[in-house]
Amino acid sequence: MTAVITRAERPYDPADISSSEFWAGTAKDREKVFAELRASRPISWHRPVTNGMFADPNDQGFWAVVRHADLVEVTRRPGDFLSGQGITFESLPVEVLDAAQGFIAMDPPRHTKIRRLMAAAFTPKQLARIDEHIVANSRRIVDDIAAKGSVNFVTEVAALIPMDNICDMVGIPEEHRRTVAYESQFADGWRDPRLLQGADPLARVFQTVSTIHGIAHELIAARRSKPENDLMTALVQAEVDGERLTDDDISSIFALLIIAGNDTTRQSISHGMKALSDFPEQRAWLMEDLDGRLPIAVEEIIRWATPIMTFRRTAAHDTELGGHHITEGDKVIMFYSSANMDTEVFDHPEQLNLSRSPNKHIAFGGGGIHHCLGAQLARRQISAIFRELLTRLPDIHTVGEPELGNGNFFHTVVSMTAEFTPEKRTGSTR
Amino acid sequence: MKIVVDKSRCSSIGLCEATATDIFQIGADGALHILMAEVPEDRRTDLEQACENCPTQALSIEG
Repeated sequence: MTAVITRAERPYDPADISSSEFWAGTAKDREKVFAELRASRPISWHRPVTNGMFADPNDQGFWAVVRHADLVEVTRRPGDFLSGQGITFESLPVEVLDAAQGFIAMDPPRHTKIRRLMAAAFTPKQLARIDEHIVANSRRIVDDIAAKGSVNFVTEVAALIPMDNICDMVGIPEEHRRTVAYESQFADGWRDPRLLQGADPLARVFQTVSTIHGIAHELIAARRSKPENDLMTALVQAEVDGERLTDDDISSIFALLIIAGNDTTRQSISHGMKALSDFPEQRAWLMEDLDGRLPIAVEEIIRWATPIMTFRRTAAHDTELGGHHITEGDKVIMFYSSANMDTEVFDHPEQLNLSRSPNKHIAFGGGGIHHCLGAQLARRQISAIFRELLTRLPDIHTVGEPELGNGNFFHTVVSMTAEFTPEKRTGSTR
Repeated sequence: MKIVVDKSRCSSIGLCEATATDIFQIGADGALHILMAEVPEDRRTDLEQACENCPTQALSIEG
């Protein structure tokens, strides 16, 4: 039995993983700190993040979980480590939590029922059905850039794939797509001056919430009067415990689907393009049998990208983790980018190895009840866009270093240039 | 042997389906369906893996 130390008197670990500077750096720099923690202090207590959205006097710090095995354990103990008080590092205003985190910030039994409802839309069979849309969307995106020779890869490729596909599934019409994809960036980008352009972070997040909810309410009304074959219709028709979901419930799920659907796959595609440019011998291996090797390569691209770097849980009661006494209410942060570099699980994790097998990355989660709902959708999208890009623009490569985000949640690429020999078009021009 | 699903626990996360697509299937109704009433003995490892992987401990083997 370990000695019980109250939260206030617990000493902070000397490693800095809380400051804005730490998160404004590169994954490579952060990994040096995580490697040290994994080796010597796998469960450690840290001072609160320095640039919270608002000052929370009750925020005294967080536990950092950095090893693969410990992360898996935390995700698989949902009764001890709750999601309902928020899944981000920072404390968020309860209005934002309720409005934007849907079932990801929910605990059983309600989570179980909503998750089951959502599962119907993400079955392998359903996804196979929309696969031709995914392929067609990828083709159209490459059509649009093929003659240019140089593009902002993030805005002209990576952001568009998930936007089109998640909007197709949810049932968001063309006129709202760019708005929802743009607004979704503020989920983590509220601390990025390049995005904020002078706006107050908290005010900007509320603006995002209100914009997304405005669109959600419009769609809810439309689907009630005229059902379609999409997720929005499924949500307005669904019953949980014999009751219809409220408009606010649906809006919150809608916001989660948009954010989780857009901001993750976008990063994986961007980091993937950079990795394929940085490791030419890996790319050559892939190109020897693109169709055959893409599925396994996509897993390594996802590990490499680790689009979500952290998830938080909150201790439901006093409990033990890795020999430490965790107090009820303590924040426990899991570092996915660290777990995906754990040498206990991955041989030379610092090297991109597209043939890595088995690849036990936890980018989609550690196998708990919040395991990524869209994992198969993400895999299909990443596969479709790289098949299209590498076949039609075989010399596409990134130029210079990408401009990175400064958040602690999404592993954001803000902007990145890619160049290629323009595609020679036969027949009529578009 | 048979696979038993505790329907009050199952959240249709689908990790079992990822382990053995011919035995487990999340249906269009969002519920887990077992596709084999009787699972042959040579699939025991798959079933054990599925039970172990289940995030909600909703699966067990009978027999």
